[in-house]
Amino acid sequence: MSLATDTSVPISADFHVTRSRQNVAWTGLGALVVVVVLALFPYIVYSGTTAILVQAFIVLTLASMWNLMAGYAGLVSVGQQGFVGLGAYFVLILALHGLSPFAALPVAAIGCGVVALPLWWLVSRLRSGYFAIATWVLAAAIMLFIERFQSLGGGTGLPLPGFTGMNPTLITAYTYWVGLAVTAAAMLAVYVLLRGRLGLVLTAVRDDEVAARSSGARVGLARLIVFVVAGIGCAAAGGVLAISQLQVQPTAVFSVQWTAEMAFATIIGGLGTIEGPIIGTAVYMVLQQTLASYNAWYLIILGLVAIVVALFARRGLWGLVDERLHLRLFPVGYWLRTGAGNGRPRSLRN
Amino acid sequence: MTSLLELEHVTKRFGRVVIAEDLSFAVGAGDVVGIVGPNGAGKTSLFGLISGDLAPDAGQVRFAGRNVTRLDPADRCRLGVGRTYQVPRPFADMTVFENLLVAAQQGAGLRRRASYAAAVAALERTGMSSQGNVPAERLGLLQRKRLELARALATQPTLLLLDEVAGGLTDPEVAQLVEIVRGVNADGIAVIWIEHVVRALTAVVSRLICLAGGTFVGDGEPTAVLAEPAVREVFLGTDVTAALAGGTLETTSAADAEREPS
Repeated sequence: MSLATDTSVPISADFHVTRSRQNVAWTGLGALVVVVVLALFPYIVYSGTTAILVQAFIVLTLASMWNLMAGYAGLVSVGQQGFVGLGAYFVLILALHGLSPFAALPVAAIGCGVVALPLWWLVSRLRSGYFAIATWVLAAAIMLFIERFQSLGGGTGLPLPGFTGMNPTLITAYTYWVGLAVTAAAMLAVYVLLRGRLGLVLTAVRDDEVAARSSGARVGLARLIVFVVAGIGCAAAGGVLAISQLQVQPTAVFSVQWTAEMAFATIIGGLGTIEGPIIGTAVYMVLQQTLASYNAWYLIILGLVAIVVALFARRGLWGLVDERLHLRLFPVGYWLRTGAGNGRPRSLRN
Repeated sequence: MTSLLELEHVTKRFGRVVIAEDLSFAVGAGDVVGIVGPNGAGKTSLFGLISGDLAPDAGQVRFAGRNVTRLDPADRCRLGVGRTYQVPRPFADMTVFENLLVAAQQGAGLRRRASYAAAVAALERTGMSSQGNVPAERLGLLQRKRLELARALATQPTLLLLDEVAGGLTDPEVAQLVEIVRGVNADGIAVIWIEHVVRALTAVVSRLICLAGGTFVGDGEPTAVLAEPAVREVFLGTDVTAALAGGTLETTSAADAEREPS
């Protein structure tokens, strides 16, 4: 990765600015190793395991997008399932017209990014609770609109065409790789976004919106970009969902449950950090897999975990790690080095 | 010469509370203007009207020859209005240097190298060079106030709005701050400074405005304004007029009341 370099920009003889205190090369290398190892999974594990991992990929992608919105841009959306559903339906529509669902997925995701623009115009003036409710209403309206089309299966949906003649093992493996690719792309996009000029704005907005505005930050534009990126990401996750289930059913893909999952994973992991959604997704998937057979107890324990984390780890589980180890897996900050002696006072940075 | 900042008949009310009542005044490029007034006089709100945090109910705000009444704070900042907040608003989870980078990149519109240099310059100017990598949340109140000043400077303003940056400072620190403001002004930056620590103001300003109840009760040469009976009345209360007969500005009770325990 070209990003995995610790570029140093000299200001004068006395000042150097580096993009991180830590060596970013290790982050890039570590991420690459993880992705490569995960990519080999279809050869070494059972399809049951890859199916669970596909679910995890969907949740992680969604959580990363929700984190970008709620954790940085101050946009608490309860309507991201609208994009999940749209992504799934766009894949279905393209597949019905003869395109392979795998090829349809990136087109569907970009298409949803375009749809996000007029939707943003509708909700951009709203804040906090009003924004949350408006996005929820929008998602419901999109579902009702799509259910009107009998050619798309109306209220019951349709099976996803385009898999006839394919080896089921191959379908499973392809689905897994597409899920992995979408998640890796989503994480990379979030990292690149937060490392760039816009990332500094978003981090400032996260900390104090009023001060960010009076420091010259165009908060509205930053929010628009985040809304569109999150729309694309959630739509891609919706596409993966459609492919993994081999069918598109409106009540399933437009379920508010998706937003509950992304919010849960983000909040228990750590809102406003890149690492948080990863930890949160891991915890969520472990809980789900171990407790799924207990039905109601599963939900009760999920709720209890959320309450305990909210009460005792306000900055999420990653916040606890960060406080003790001063660790950043994805460093996005700037580090000022003065002269020759003033090196790296580790203790000063979080 | 045209004025840098012009307020024309600006009025702002919150319900029955009058924040600004038909205010008109002009500040020229490079001027240093002090603003005093009792708590609740509308001083900080006046800054809000200038910086765009507040929209006036009536009247016009002009900056650098443009009508900016409808511009939001970000756009006014980009035109050259830099402000500090009385209660500091740092980007808490970012380092001091990163705080300044936001201002240099967004407010001043600088790119990479240039933005780093501007942030470093703001650090040096405010004496915060050794604290560049300190997370803002670790700063004490006085350092946070200093960061407010540094961040406003990093936007490379032509008009700097200082909102009680001297409160709680010791005498040598006030002197240091006064030197910083003098240096800023020497670069041609106009300054409007709200302050209860009157001795800090009188050391720099050439013009003093007294604000009370959303209207100006005094405007002019500092010692003359502070000597006006109307100003003494609103600023210090009627009974202390006699106590002020000696003319020592240090005896202002408001200045002492404002000092925060450090």
